[in-house]
Amino acid sequence: MSDEKMSVIVQTIAGMLFPMVLIFSFYVILHGHLTPGGGFQGGAIGASAVALLIVAYGSKTIEKKMAEENLSIFESLGGLVFVIVAIAGFILASAFLSNFLVGEPLFGQIPGWGESPLNSGGFLPILNIAVGMKVIGGLSAIVLMLALVSREVKEQ
Amino acid sequence: MKKLAFIGFVVFCLFLFYAAYDIRDFGAPPSSMDDRIIGSYNSTTGEWEYGAVNETGANNAVTSVVFDYRGYDTLGEATVLFTAIAGVMLLFGGRKHE
Amino acid sequence: MIEINLFEVLIVVLSVFMIASAVIAVWFKDLLASVISLAAMSLVLSLYFYILHAPDVAIAEAGVGAALTTAILIITIRATYRMEGEK
Repeated sequence: MSDEKMSVIVQTIAGMLFPMVLIFSFYVILHGHLTPGGGFQGGAIGASAVALLIVAYGSKTIEKKMAEENLSIFESLGGLVFVIVAIAGFILASAFLSNFLVGEPLFGQIPGWGESPLNSGGFLPILNIAVGMKVIGGLSAIVLMLALVSREVKEQ
Repeated sequence: MKKLAFIGFVVFCLFLFYAAYDIRDFGAPPSSMDDRIIGSYNSTTGEWEYGAVNETGANNAVTSVVFDYRGYDTLGEATVLFTAIAGVMLLFGGRKHE
Repeated sequence: MIEINLFEVLIVVLSVFMIASAVIAVWFKDLLASVISLAAMSLVLSLYFYILHAPDVAIAEAGVGAALTTAILIITIRATYRMEGEK
């Protein structure tokens, strides 16, 4: 285990598996108000995809593709979206974090669109996306940071 | 140590079996308490009555509780995650370029 | 005649698997095998949550417990020693 990279077989399978896992994580996040799952669950799946890449390719290669400062900025952006939507509920409707989009014609129509109603849940998808951004960025940044630091500890 | 592990194994097994004894069957219809949360379909008028589906427009009742009814808890959870990232970055951020 | 429900049989089997893999994780000297045993315990626990009508918690448990924790522990083992008590 002295070399950080794994074998070519593991690298190829990880590279093939990464987009599929990421697409599944986006599905879980975007359908959080319809099916089981949500922002945190989908974000954990996406961060596990990044962790798979880190374990297979080594942290030095991944750091060139996505720096952990950018991941941290992504995470903070998610938190900012959450707070902005919450304050918009304070301004447009009655209270902080009130669901101001429910009952509106586009996003909050009840009982949904079409013959068999597909509910769209007001502002719940926006908050799901915000929390998903937070969790993907945050957990990926933690795993990447731990991998980088532990590699340097081993070298000393 | 092995004897202690075996005793713990047996005790936890008995606890889980006791907990599984009174569980309701898989896919069994929900109780009346769930009807108040999720809402029930009135076949005569063709509308959902008194539930999270009617109030928030989300089919998944858990998401409507987590993000709408108890939105402050989710905000606190986001704050916890932000603090954890800030702690990791402060602890290891300077050490990476040594 | 005792009526055997397949569902209760599944609960019993999953309980035995879960607790056995948790005990094995403590018992191993090889820490990498111990981490893999913990991941198996997490996976069985997520199945258990699914049976207990909590699919949200099951997805979170499978994502965090079986994938992220395993990755973090494997990274830590890479930086330190693989066998317990080794220096």
